[in-house]
Amino acid sequence: MPSVSSRLTGGAAVLLLATGLLSFPGLAPNPYVLSAGIVVLHYAVLATSWNFVGGFTGYLSLGHGALAGLGGYGTGLLVTKAGLNSFVALALAMLLVSALAVPIGMAALRVRGASFVIVSIALVLILLLVFQSWASLTGGSRGLVVPRPFDLSRPEHHRVFWFLFSGLLALALLAWWLIDRSRFGLGLKAIREDEDKAEALGTPTFAYKLVVFVVSAAFTALAGGLYALWFGDLDPVFQFSVLTGSYLVLMALLGGVRNLFGPLVGALVVGVALEYFKVEFGNTPLHLVATGVLLALVVLFMPDGVLPAAGSLLRRLRPAGEQASIRDVTAAELRERRRAEEVRR
Amino acid sequence: MPSGALLFQSVVLGLLLGGLYALLAAGLTLYFGIMRVVMIAHSAFLILAAYLAWWWHERLGLDPLLSMVVTVPLFFAAGVLLQRMLLARLRPATLTMMSVLLTFAVAVLIEGLLGYAFTGTQRRIQLDYGSAGFGLFGARIAVVKLIAFGLAGIALAGLYLVLKRTRFGWALRATIQHPDAARLVGIDTERIAGYGFGIGLATAAVGGTALALDTTIYPSLHWHWIGPLMAIIVVGGLGSVPGAAAAAMLLGLLQSLLQIPMGTTWAQTVFYLALFATLAFRPQGFFGGRLAQRF
Repeated sequence: MPSVSSRLTGGAAVLLLATGLLSFPGLAPNPYVLSAGIVVLHYAVLATSWNFVGGFTGYLSLGHGALAGLGGYGTGLLVTKAGLNSFVALALAMLLVSALAVPIGMAALRVRGASFVIVSIALVLILLLVFQSWASLTGGSRGLVVPRPFDLSRPEHHRVFWFLFSGLLALALLAWWLIDRSRFGLGLKAIREDEDKAEALGTPTFAYKLVVFVVSAAFTALAGGLYALWFGDLDPVFQFSVLTGSYLVLMALLGGVRNLFGPLVGALVVGVALEYFKVEFGNTPLHLVATGVLLALVVLFMPDGVLPAAGSLLRRLRPAGEQASIRDVTAAELRERRRAEEVRR
Repeated sequence: MPSGALLFQSVVLGLLLGGLYALLAAGLTLYFGIMRVVMIAHSAFLILAAYLAWWWHERLGLDPLLSMVVTVPLFFAAGVLLQRMLLARLRPATLTMMSVLLTFAVAVLIEGLLGYAFTGTQRRIQLDYGSAGFGLFGARIAVVKLIAFGLAGIALAGLYLVLKRTRFGWALRATIQHPDAARLVGIDTERIAGYGFGIGLATAAVGGTALALDTTIYPSLHWHWIGPLMAIIVVGGLGSVPGAAAAAMLLGLLQSLLQIPMGTTWAQTVFYLALFATLAFRPQGFFGGRLAQRF
């Protein structure tokens, strides 16, 4: 059972998040700030969707940018070529991407770790190739213009989409929270800690991994499609960029993949930094350098993220009696501890 | 139906390209064997070496091939440092995943620095012998492509000799096969692993110089190489150098042949199709590779 204090922290976090989401459009001084806020919020949804796979199973995908791009292009093409209603197209695109995620997941998840990352990167590269070359359908490098779903002024358009993205974020967080507490979630976490042992104990590892990958793909596609409807202009170079995928990984790792709000916090930090960089320095190769350095630093020194680091600091400040008797210990931590004990003996 | 001469030309070009792929895939295989690391930054170092060769020719006016005198030792040192200072620090439990992220970060860093130092402009070395070539049974073979293939062949042969005939090579192979047993017979596996990474990166220096001879280079070019290379090592069965070489020749040849009916862009998809097919039907690869079960 979660302790009273951790429940209080969780409740406070939800309250804070809800207040922030509801009040930001009123507080934003101009439409530009609101649109930058939507970009950050969009990253938060994507990072949370990524965390279904990355956080529960420990399989890190660098290709989630491609799934978002597919959602975006799927929505855009269904609106422009098939003439569907914007939100029907969005839902249909989500279903199509989920269906596509099944064979991709089957190829990527049959073996462990490294092949999953390889497939995820290959997915981005092959889709970039296809969407740039198949100009008769996708518009190629000229881009695809997606008509706006509502006939509104620019600030009103931003306001509506802020709340749509907020709703999607709430839905993704709720789904993650539900899985986290379920038997399914326990099985996934067992895969993360030791896949062989999990399998030996009867967890259907392959089926679990595949299901959670498809769920993650569905949310990612929704976020990508909503972005297409909001932004209104798609370009293969930006939609199928390995960089987008690496931003998501950076956000989730920085915030902490084991935490419900981790990717959200990471997206706030990285997303705001990205927008600030764009305004201050424009599109120079330096943002690549900054991304690379930051990712390397997080991987080397803070692989568990900011939130767990802050949490352990808080725990140390509290008296010993209040500490929870049982807490999550990762297989890696356990191994380190055992090794330390052996050395002492 | 394309003419016989055109087919023959494609076969020759495919084999020449396959040689370069084989050399680069050998480096990737070495890293994977030593540490179970998928080195995303390999092709970024390849492009870095190509840029250094271009700069060498442009600024110093010397033949780009001579740049290897500097780049090969430099890359060897960089490889040792990369392994000792960065990859060896990661936790063993999550090494495979985190090392991908770390080498990815290095790749992005190199791309950014190249863009900053040399701008995004496309560069190409202008050589006096750049357009020289000779006919062979109706096919035309450019001298530079032959030089690139020769370089790859010499480097691969050298790698083979080092691995099979020297004490260092035995130690390296022992480290790959069974690190614990290697330590028991007195091999300093950590030092050997560092040197193994150095050798792997040195092959990227050779490959990059060969690439620079007849290719237009730009900072983000490495993404066009890492996809095919990863496909090759998966098809070859991760960890098997002969398997990677065979897959490299085969896929290079296929790519070159498919360019006739499909065009250059779509022909590239053969790598990704091979990758997906391999993982879906035979995840341990088509050319052996004992390590593949656990990757």
